[in-house]
Amino acid sequence: MKAVIADDEDLARGVVREYVLRECPEMEIAAECSNGFEAVKACGECKPDVLFLDIQMPKLDGFEVLELIDARIAVVFVTAFDQYAMRAFDAAAVDYLLKPFGVERFRAAMEKVTRRVGEERPASLPVDLKNAARPVGEYLERVVVKDGARVHVIPAGKLDYAEAQDDYVGLRSEGRTWLKQQTIASLEAALDPKRFVRVHRSYLVNLERITRIDPNTKDTWLAVLADGSKIPVSRGGYTRFNALVRG
Amino acid sequence: MHPIFQNWKFFLLYLSVWLPLGAILGVLISVAGSLRTMETAAIIVPVIVVLDFVCLSPWYVCRALPLRSSGAPRLLGQHVLAAMVVAGGVLLIARLSASGFSGIFPGLDRRFVAAQPVLSVMVAMIYLLSIAMHYVVIEAQTSRRSELLAREAQWRALKAQVNPHFLFNSLNSISALTSSDAGRAREMCIRLADFLRTSLRLGERPSIPFREEMELTRMYLDVEQVRFGRRLRLHEDLEPACDECEVPALLIQPLVENAVKHGIALLDEGGEILMLGRRVREGLLFSIENPYDPQAPASRSGIGLANVRQRLEARYGSAGKLEVEASDDVYRVTLILPSRTLG
Repeated sequence: MKAVIADDEDLARGVVREYVLRECPEMEIAAECSNGFEAVKACGECKPDVLFLDIQMPKLDGFEVLELIDARIAVVFVTAFDQYAMRAFDAAAVDYLLKPFGVERFRAAMEKVTRRVGEERPASLPVDLKNAARPVGEYLERVVVKDGARVHVIPAGKLDYAEAQDDYVGLRSEGRTWLKQQTIASLEAALDPKRFVRVHRSYLVNLERITRIDPNTKDTWLAVLADGSKIPVSRGGYTRFNALVRG
Repeated sequence: MHPIFQNWKFFLLYLSVWLPLGAILGVLISVAGSLRTMETAAIIVPVIVVLDFVCLSPWYVCRALPLRSSGAPRLLGQHVLAAMVVAGGVLLIARLSASGFSGIFPGLDRRFVAAQPVLSVMVAMIYLLSIAMHYVVIEAQTSRRSELLAREAQWRALKAQVNPHFLFNSLNSISALTSSDAGRAREMCIRLADFLRTSLRLGERPSIPFREEMELTRMYLDVEQVRFGRRLRLHEDLEPACDECEVPALLIQPLVENAVKHGIALLDEGGEILMLGRRVREGLLFSIENPYDPQAPASRSGIGLANVRQRLEARYGSAGKLEVEASDDVYRVTLILPSRTLG
């Protein structure tokens, strides 16, 4: 088995390393990462079976890392108390270790890992986990996507629109389209409803980009964006748009 | 609304004060104008009815013109002017009733003329007195409110002190060190204990010298230093003249904690926190500067700052300032306190 440890504090990585070496001699530590970018990169390159993941890290936080890595990797959150994150852990992580933790607790987590290794993460998608972990009334300021081995960060203000494509959403930003495995409904739930409007079953648009709305057929409209692209608008979407614009 | 209307008992009490006041006024004008009892009453009753309501108006005036808002001569001038207007108005009412009752009491309006000066002067003085009373009441209210706010803020600061993240991460560092470096683990336990003990002790006092607040801040940073190692670098530039300046306890430490939590902790390479202390004309200037990642996922730094701002306001009104500047990669918070020197 292979493990990756991601935590920005040397000492915190040290504890996990020490326990792994002592308790799981068959396990190899493939990489140690001190920020979220490195963690995503290492998971892509080393294909670990288990990832020990801190929540608060530079570059990307633990939830963002979770969104971007292979769903087969067994994730064990290793974190200090976080009142918002707690309730979300059960959903997508195999287990979570609250710092500081003892060796018995670590063993219990590793037993769960052994049972679950190779299985696809069940339950909700990690993006929904991130939604659950966010306090009410706070919205995503950015969306992270994977661009090959690299991670691309799209600030909410630079997202023009999102289009549903089967299990993916196409995120349009600065003249490019990025694909991300997520439902448009969960993206809609994560973004500020005052800035993004679901104009169509398959389209979520940044309100600031809409220059005008033209009638198309009876009961449908077209939203014309600042860059000239045209987005279909349904009857319901038209109502939502008007409600939002009129406040 | 005037607080006196909040409780009808207070209002009745207030009205009853006007009985002796009215009696005194009546005696004065009846002597000055040689008026009979009934004649006096005919003039005094409407005067008192109007005056007791007019004398509640300073509640609004005094709040609009707080004692410290402008120079004493200007404040006095404004109130004396208001008192003269009030006296004039009341005199007019008195004259109207005097001439109105002339039918019943012949020559009342003529005889009342002699009582006019004493009535005007007394009314103006009563009005000025009510202004003074209102200032006393408002002052008492404000100080009670700011005391409450300060206590609440202190309690919150204390709670923030043992911020669970900080505590659990520190304990985790200790746990890591026990196997690799027992000596350092013990040292960290001691640092953590020192910090907690000191913040509890200082939190009990409303004001402490800047020097002590900075010592506490250093204890906090000592603990964080173990966690972040070389990622956390410090630079202090504090004028010795600041040492004895009086500051509210635990006001600066949360700013330093913010700089670590939202700045250094989210930077891969960490960075340097720069703390500056200066004696300035207004009192004490303290600023803290830290590099930060503008791209980092939004964090809840607003809460700590709002807390500091609220405490400043409760304590110093508009004289205390908290400024926040965020450039591309540097975050700076500047604090200006109208600080006395202790001792």
